[in-house]
Amino acid sequence: MPSYVLGISGLYHDAAAVLLEDGKIVAAAQEERFSRLKHDAALPVRAAQYCLETAGIPVSRVDWLVFYEKPLRKFERIVSTAVATFPRSWRSFPRQMHHWLGDRLWLRANLTSAFGVSPERMMFCEHHLSHAASAFYCSPHDEAAILCVDGVGEWATTSLWRGSGSAIEPVSEVRWPHSIGLFYSAITAHLGFAVNEGEYKVMGMAAYGQPRFREEMSRLLRLDSEGGYSVDLDTFSWHWHPTEPATARLARLLGPPRFPGTPFTPRLDPLAQHHADVAASAQAATEEALLHLVRHAHAAVPAPALCLAGGVALNAVCNGRIAAEGPHAHLWVQPAAGDAGGAMGAAMWAWHGVLGNPRGPALRSCALGREVARDRTAELLADLGARFDDLGDDAPERAGRDLAEGKVVAWVDGREEWGPRALGQRSILADPRSAEVAERVNRSVKFREPFRPFAPSVRAGAAPRYFDIPAAAASTSRFMLSTHPVLPEAQAGLAAVTHVDGTARVQVVDADTSPRFDRLLGAFEEATGVPVLLNTSFNLKGEPLVSTPVDALAAFARSDLDTLYLNGFRVERMR
Amino acid sequence: MGLFRRAWLTVVSEVAWRIPGRPQRLLAAFALAERGSMLDMLSAVELTERRGLRKLYFRHALDEARHAALFAGRVRSLGAIGRAEAAIEDSGQLVEAGVVAGTTLFERLGEEEFLSFVYVAEADAVEQFEVLLARRLPDPETAATLHRILKDEHFHVSYARTEVERAAAAGRPMRRSMALHRWRRVGQAWLRFSSDFGALMGGFWLGLAYVVGVGPFRLLGRLEPGGWQRPERGGSSLAAARTEG
Repeated sequence: MPSYVLGISGLYHDAAAVLLEDGKIVAAAQEERFSRLKHDAALPVRAAQYCLETAGIPVSRVDWLVFYEKPLRKFERIVSTAVATFPRSWRSFPRQMHHWLGDRLWLRANLTSAFGVSPERMMFCEHHLSHAASAFYCSPHDEAAILCVDGVGEWATTSLWRGSGSAIEPVSEVRWPHSIGLFYSAITAHLGFAVNEGEYKVMGMAAYGQPRFREEMSRLLRLDSEGGYSVDLDTFSWHWHPTEPATARLARLLGPPRFPGTPFTPRLDPLAQHHADVAASAQAATEEALLHLVRHAHAAVPAPALCLAGGVALNAVCNGRIAAEGPHAHLWVQPAAGDAGGAMGAAMWAWHGVLGNPRGPALRSCALGREVARDRTAELLADLGARFDDLGDDAPERAGRDLAEGKVVAWVDGREEWGPRALGQRSILADPRSAEVAERVNRSVKFREPFRPFAPSVRAGAAPRYFDIPAAAASTSRFMLSTHPVLPEAQAGLAAVTHVDGTARVQVVDADTSPRFDRLLGAFEEATGVPVLLNTSFNLKGEPLVSTPVDALAAFARSDLDTLYLNGFRVERMR
Repeated sequence: MGLFRRAWLTVVSEVAWRIPGRPQRLLAAFALAERGSMLDMLSAVELTERRGLRKLYFRHALDEARHAALFAGRVRSLGAIGRAEAAIEDSGQLVEAGVVAGTTLFERLGEEEFLSFVYVAEADAVEQFEVLLARRLPDPETAATLHRILKDEHFHVSYARTEVERAAAAGRPMRRSMALHRWRRVGQAWLRFSSDFGALMGGFWLGLAYVVGVGPFRLLGRLEPGGWQRPERGGSSLAAARTEG
């Protein structure tokens, strides 16, 4: 009889559930895809239910439920920090205690109540160990240095591990309140974006600026000679203020903050250009800090491979530089590198690290989420009076032709993606050759800021003709986790997906793991000679990726998409 | 209850809409409520077993999404407000604003109860918007927006009423269900008030605990230094894995 381990993350942001059957991933999903609340932090009851349904088992068959944090250690950190920052923490202490006394201190009982698993069958994995496990056990490497960089877990904000076979050993860590993740979040807030949401926007904005605040940034984020770092605790206030991550000193150092929603028009508006320069400086400082940590990791754990996880590992520009300039021959990043991935890591740590089982094959595909049956889709389309054709298995070829005609297409196919990137299961696709298409997708399809770039998907064999992808990024580029230069001679032909700095966050599509998406790219190539497509996540501004046909149809109806492909059905534009 | 409610709405609206900055907050709250309602309607599209209603629910969901965008647009046009209100386009804000919690209304109530709730809630919204317009409280652009939205709200009331009447004709206790929803809405308002008051009192006592319980230990507290540190780990034994600390 198989053994089942259910990994759970939640109660901060990006709650998720992952189910292992004899160590193999059966299903993985984020709660936000079910609740439709972006970054939903609630205990992932629906995601867990989906995992169990996919395996076809009742919860009583789950051998172990593993939570991705040690809550009491986190509580210890909160109380210690309140003591150390008295009396400045007077606002944050009552708020934190309200949360903790309300539910988090009684986590074991709450997990039993939410998931129906008895307390004796629970494990608790440290936050950074969850991240480390999510990166290492999913990778194809037997020996690796593992670097985790995020906001904060229990105490660690950055941690270095040695991975060997089924074992993960701690090497060193940087502790709260010194944190690269929180440094980047503080700059995100300064630039008028929501923390834990707008970090991608800072990355996109950075390309429009010059890093002329390098010196200021080096005072805020100080790299030391031991390969570590510290932050300026006189300027940052995340350790004692509940909502403001920085004091007024930040504005004195970097100039006035940007008000949320302010139109961004660099080159026309000096203040917008100033903010772009701040973004560029913060991004450059983060890249330098990551490279500094990676070099230390290589010296401390001399393995040819580096595994990365933690929210900062979703900074694709940093990952591109690590692959190109870092000392490691191979870079592997967990596709759900943020807290959602903690659920996967917690489950894998229990299976391999605690229960001592050998490792399985590496993660090759992110299609681990919900799939909706075709008969259910057909019934829904009929009930809603949609105009549609059933193309069945011919959908990729037809979609390729639609795209060649200049249409913007939404593509829903198979199981949804694990992690924040759309990789050809829940994607909006368009012709990559025209900048006008990108502008249209930003303006009237996704309703998002015009400065945000789009990513390309390219057929594996054709990638070297268009992009300069270093060998170390072979796996990160499969999951759209690193940014690389677009070859100069290819940039004009890929205007919609080449960012202003001449780079792109490319996805290399492998026919073995994504056969239908590869066929779609092939059809587009046959019609146009270009084996590349613009690929952006199928969601509207402020919403999670679509999951079900209902989500897809609602997003389709509310945007300027031309055509929707839904499980092999081609749906005409609805108004 | 109708006359009392209208009088109450009139007084509250007169006061609220004349406080500087308050209309933006109210419109932001409307936007979030519409957005939450869209999620409930999409859940109804997903879960309904009455296939004939699916299209109506879907249209209703799209209306709510459009209304949310219209209200958000008015918030932006009326000028600068706080960071939280500026983030009304982020669905994650719905939890913080208390608009959604856990399961959707359709999941909690089931089809008929849901329909009677829709009827009551939409009729209340119509009444609220009509009071605002009758008292000429919103600025002309916001009033025009409310007029546009009212047309949709009348449609929502109309289809929900038809379905409620159909269920009542089939012998279902719909009148009782609607009365219950009305009282539940009053109860929820009371609960919100109690919760806010409780949070205030809790904040006071926790603040006191902070001064009395945390303050005296200040000299013992220190923040961790920067740079790499030696990790303190509990190990990977089963016994260590089962502890929360």
